[in-house]
Amino acid sequence: MLFFENIRIAFHNLRSNPLRSFLILIGMAVGIGAVLHVVVLGKMTQQRIDKRLQQMGANVLLIRPGVSRRHGVRTAESTVNLKWKEADELLEHSAALSHAVPVYSGNGGLVYGNKNWSSQITGTTVDYQFVNNDFPVEGRFFNQDELDQRRRVSVIGSTVHKELFGERSPIGETIFIKSKRFTVIGLLKAKGESWTNPDNQVFIPLTTAQERLFGAAHLSSILAKMRSSEDFEEALFDIETVLRRSHRLSEDKKNDFRVRRQDFFLQAVQETNQDLADFIIVIALVSLVVGGIGIANVMLISVTERVREIGIRRAIGAKKHAILTQFLTESVILGILGGLLGITGGMAFNHFYIGEEALILWDWVGYSFAICAGIGVVAGLYPAFRAANRNVIDSLRYE
Amino acid sequence: MALIEMTNVSKSYESGSLKVQALSGVKLSIEANEYVALMGPSGSGKSTMMNILGCLDIPTAGRYLFADRDITTLKDNQLSEIRNRQIGFVFQSFHLLPRATALDNVELPLIYSGLSPEKRRARAMASLEQVGLSERMQHTPSELSGGQRQRVAIARALVNNPSLILADEPTGNLDSKTGIEIMALIATLHAQGNTVIMVTHEADIARQAGRIVKLRDGRIESDLPT
Repeated sequence: MLFFENIRIAFHNLRSNPLRSFLILIGMAVGIGAVLHVVVLGKMTQQRIDKRLQQMGANVLLIRPGVSRRHGVRTAESTVNLKWKEADELLEHSAALSHAVPVYSGNGGLVYGNKNWSSQITGTTVDYQFVNNDFPVEGRFFNQDELDQRRRVSVIGSTVHKELFGERSPIGETIFIKSKRFTVIGLLKAKGESWTNPDNQVFIPLTTAQERLFGAAHLSSILAKMRSSEDFEEALFDIETVLRRSHRLSEDKKNDFRVRRQDFFLQAVQETNQDLADFIIVIALVSLVVGGIGIANVMLISVTERVREIGIRRAIGAKKHAILTQFLTESVILGILGGLLGITGGMAFNHFYIGEEALILWDWVGYSFAICAGIGVVAGLYPAFRAANRNVIDSLRYE
Repeated sequence: MALIEMTNVSKSYESGSLKVQALSGVKLSIEANEYVALMGPSGSGKSTMMNILGCLDIPTAGRYLFADRDITTLKDNQLSEIRNRQIGFVFQSFHLLPRATALDNVELPLIYSGLSPEKRRARAMASLEQVGLSERMQHTPSELSGGQRQRVAIARALVNNPSLILADEPTGNLDSKTGIEIMALIATLHAQGNTVIMVTHEADIARQAGRIVKLRDGRIESDLPT
């Protein structure tokens, strides 16, 4: 009974001081809104990274030619030291690897009809699609026969498709890559923009790329896929052993190649993202604390303003806890209203800033609500205790 | 058994390093349905007496039985309950909640006795009717005249059917014509069976009571029927 009465009194008082109530709510609202925004943003970045990690094919090691140094001085980057046969040797010697795919990439102009476009031309082997989980959505990848016979067949990425063909199916069409005639046999799934555009690519047999297009005998990289992520140390050891032997590096020489774990890069991004989110959360919490202090302050003022009211209520029979709960209710309602304002504001901001796809994290909405109510309780405790423990006679006489 | 039974009641305050003896060895007995005026110059202990009678304060020594309960042994919560259910206060400056309507003000004690909203409303309306204010229930104190405000306060004092109505200078803030009306209302309440104790310093107002108790220097100077 007293509970509803307290709520009624609280709203009555908040209404009679609208500006003051509103200003206090703003403090809370900014904090909660910021928390919601950061959490949603973090969650969405996380989802993007997860998706990208999935697309990239987990557990893939990228082996690239390294920087050769002479007496500590960096000289021209060596780009000739990775060979196709080394990829095969790696697969043969390392039990930790399930695939080792040679890759040669270069840039080249594409022509279809009267349309021109420039993209990355990647020569590789049949296994590439299994390493990167990159399967055609239309048509097919090239096969071993086409690789062996240096066939001029191509599998195109979605950007290339859009630029050259628009909406039309590209399968069976003829395009020119670096002025050479190729048949399009496959179209890859769109992966979406990230740091580079993986969709602006054309895949062709490695033999065709090396011998017919670029006239190169070496590779630009080898993609090695581990059987599981726990095999990392073993795989790294095997790769170093095989390549150092193949490159005849004496023990005092450093590696002339680099091994990078692709998902490590994303993990670093993820950690940075998390650090930033933590930082902003801390700032948001500070603003919540400030909001809480604001509530406490307003409640103290409110108690002082209403000393006589406290005296009257006590004289006609209100017990101490009735006064305590009255002021506590008011403070909690202030907190909750601030929270609601913040939650609404945060959601609106997310919608405006991130757009339609902005997530609504109901669990965080719940936490925000609870946090605000909690701040209301904490901020209201001391003022409410002061109100409840005032001397009745003095309060009645208070002018 | 008397409604109020004070034996050897003393009250002293520490005011800084000074010890003030507000009441010393007061002995007083008041029966149900009496109408008693409490008089005395300022500093006589009149206010302290009033606070103790109203269970707003407890004596530092002696015994005070109110409706057979020893007030000196009660806890704050129990004192609040007695004030709520057994005592109706009428103050000189009305002490109404300024932003609440007359009806809400009268309902206030019933909220703390835990009555349902419907019962509260019904009883508060009956009480306001009794003091002749049924037309002004939705007005806030600022929209009422002084006399009307005091009627609201009296309605509030009556609403819980108290054993005692304690009026502290009820006409002190009113013009004499309105004062007479309020005194008539209090006389009616007494005639209806209520016990009334009224603190006043005006002799002609005190004379309307059935008994006048005069205080001086914290002691009862005289206790005479009118």
